[in-house]
Amino acid sequence: MKSFKEIAVPAFVLFAICLVATFLLAMTNSVTAPRIAALADDAEKSSRTEVLPDAVSFCGGKSLQYDGNDYTYFVGCDKDGGIVGFTFTTSAKGYGGDIVIMTGIDTFGKVTGITALELNETAGLGMKAQSESFRSRFIGKSGVIGVSTAGGGAENSVDAITGATITTKAVTDAVNDALLLFEQVKEAGANG
Amino acid sequence: MAEKKSLFNEFSKGLIAENPVLRLVLGTCPTLAVSTSMVNAIGMGLSASIVLVCSNIAISMLRRVIPSKVRIPAYIVVIASFVTIVQMLVKAFVPALDSALGVFLPLIVVNCIILGRAEAFAGKNSVAASAADGLGMGAGFTAALLCMATVREFLGNGTLFSGADSLLSLFGITSFTGIEIFSRLPEFLKIEPILIFILAPGGFFMFGILMALANKIAEGKGKPGAELHGCESCPMSGSCSLIKDGEADGIGARRSGAAATADMTGGGAQ
Amino acid sequence: MTKYYFSILLTAVLTNNFVLSKFLGICPFLGVSKKLKTATGMSLAVIFVMAMSTAVTYPINKYLLEPKGLAYLQTIVFILVIAALVQLVETVLKKYVPSLYSALGIYLPLITTNCAVLGVVLLNVQSASSEASFRFLASMFNSVGGGVGFMLAMIMFAGVRSRMESCDIPKSLRGLPITLIAASIVSVSFLGFGGIVENIFG
Repeated sequence: MKSFKEIAVPAFVLFAICLVATFLLAMTNSVTAPRIAALADDAEKSSRTEVLPDAVSFCGGKSLQYDGNDYTYFVGCDKDGGIVGFTFTTSAKGYGGDIVIMTGIDTFGKVTGITALELNETAGLGMKAQSESFRSRFIGKSGVIGVSTAGGGAENSVDAITGATITTKAVTDAVNDALLLFEQVKEAGANG
Repeated sequence: MAEKKSLFNEFSKGLIAENPVLRLVLGTCPTLAVSTSMVNAIGMGLSASIVLVCSNIAISMLRRVIPSKVRIPAYIVVIASFVTIVQMLVKAFVPALDSALGVFLPLIVVNCIILGRAEAFAGKNSVAASAADGLGMGAGFTAALLCMATVREFLGNGTLFSGADSLLSLFGITSFTGIEIFSRLPEFLKIEPILIFILAPGGFFMFGILMALANKIAEGKGKPGAELHGCESCPMSGSCSLIKDGEADGIGARRSGAAATADMTGGGAQ
Repeated sequence: MTKYYFSILLTAVLTNNFVLSKFLGICPFLGVSKKLKTATGMSLAVIFVMAMSTAVTYPINKYLLEPKGLAYLQTIVFILVIAALVQLVETVLKKYVPSLYSALGIYLPLITTNCAVLGVVLLNVQSASSEASFRFLASMFNSVGGGVGFMLAMIMFAGVRSRMESCDIPKSLRGLPITLIAASIVSVSFLGFGGIVENIFG
């Protein structure tokens, strides 16, 4: 049998180390947490401005239910308070996990810009979805956007990133979802 | 003077003679995963070095207090705390690096280099020597990562230091975003980057080539090449019978494995 | 819904293979893949521990850490839970199921510091917070898929390595370098799986 001391001393030391460690972590967290939250907030704000450049201000998150899922969207206004468009955050399954896309749509249902809020694709392939040159392919598109792989540039479709068709399709799916949500918002607006 | 010299030795051994990646074959997962770009490599190297130095110092200070029975869990707690602190700081001050390193930032906890140094060095040596050891090992890790990342980014993406602004923004510099090389070549030399070098196969391939080079150099100096340790130098290897028996003989490994694990459970109850 | 879980499983096994495309668990992949027998034993132990740790850490995170705003303690809590769990499983197996212990038990201590296990647990809770649908069941499928993917990679690689035994390899490349280059070629084959999963669920 082990004596009491043999068990108690190691247990106490381990407990003390855990206690000190947790205390240190809590301290660091209290310093960094507000900054991390502020950064996330800033990032979201600047994403909204990026995808809907015409808007001066955004009226806060409105919720919308569609197809059994909850979505939050923002209404962008110009300086006189007139509505210039909406931003939607939608997601789709990419190659390396979920891709979260924010899409800006003007009042005519045309995409004004997209940005990836979350993207964990293969470096050098799917990660190119972040690039300006890819994201700008969506601008001005409306309705249901297709993907063209052969570089044919079919009507209302975007050229796929070479070697990353899955990523391109996922991003396009997310943007199409946003366009669908836009239709819902428009209908609700027309009815109400 | 002698003291200073030996401290320098503790530092410099980590760079080449006992380079954690190329000689001791530790920390292979982050080496392969984050060496897709030079900026990621530097970020990972620095984060791991900070954790390594801090945990080495803390463990060296606590080496007389921690009972040997619970030393592994105690080391893990110490290391995990520093990793979490570094993770929170990176999130708050270099958010782009946090998203680039992803899950590999918290995974520094299970990086064998850190637990390995705690067990092999910091638990037995003075604070100053442990700090020097941690600094050297960290520098060696960063250097090996950077070596691989330079080749992979250059060949696979055609750039150097791409995305440097994410690290440099810490010092208020945002104008330098890396050097484009392939896209600047004159028209008749135009080549596409060899994409596969930044994909997974390129990682394994480059690591293999780098390891072969390191072995060749070591051979020239009359030292044996790096052995396929896998996890031999990892601190859990004391209870890992596979390596003791060269993982060859299934039955033999099993028998002594049971004995080894019995030691482990007897001694290291949590 | 079945299709959803099946696609999580296949993605984890093939396209997002833990070893060959996420670089998690490289140490055992290189160290224990020389013989088919050890490779299989190690993989089974990994699948088991991955599923167990997810089953334990998911509720801890969801009902303890997140509601209290302690998400920053995830790393430290998870690694300790995994370490304790592995030790517990080992002791229980040794005492009550000696046959299973002799098959898997010897691999268990190694698994505590296997980054694939902590990796899968962290990735699960991250996905769970970013997407509402990545709930408990999906996390479990992801973990088991990750483990099965690990096994697939280990077994394939053990086969490749047994063929290399009889090859005449240049001196500098012997040992680890040629093993890594072989791993590189095996991982090329996994790049091709993306298309398969895409075509099944596209």
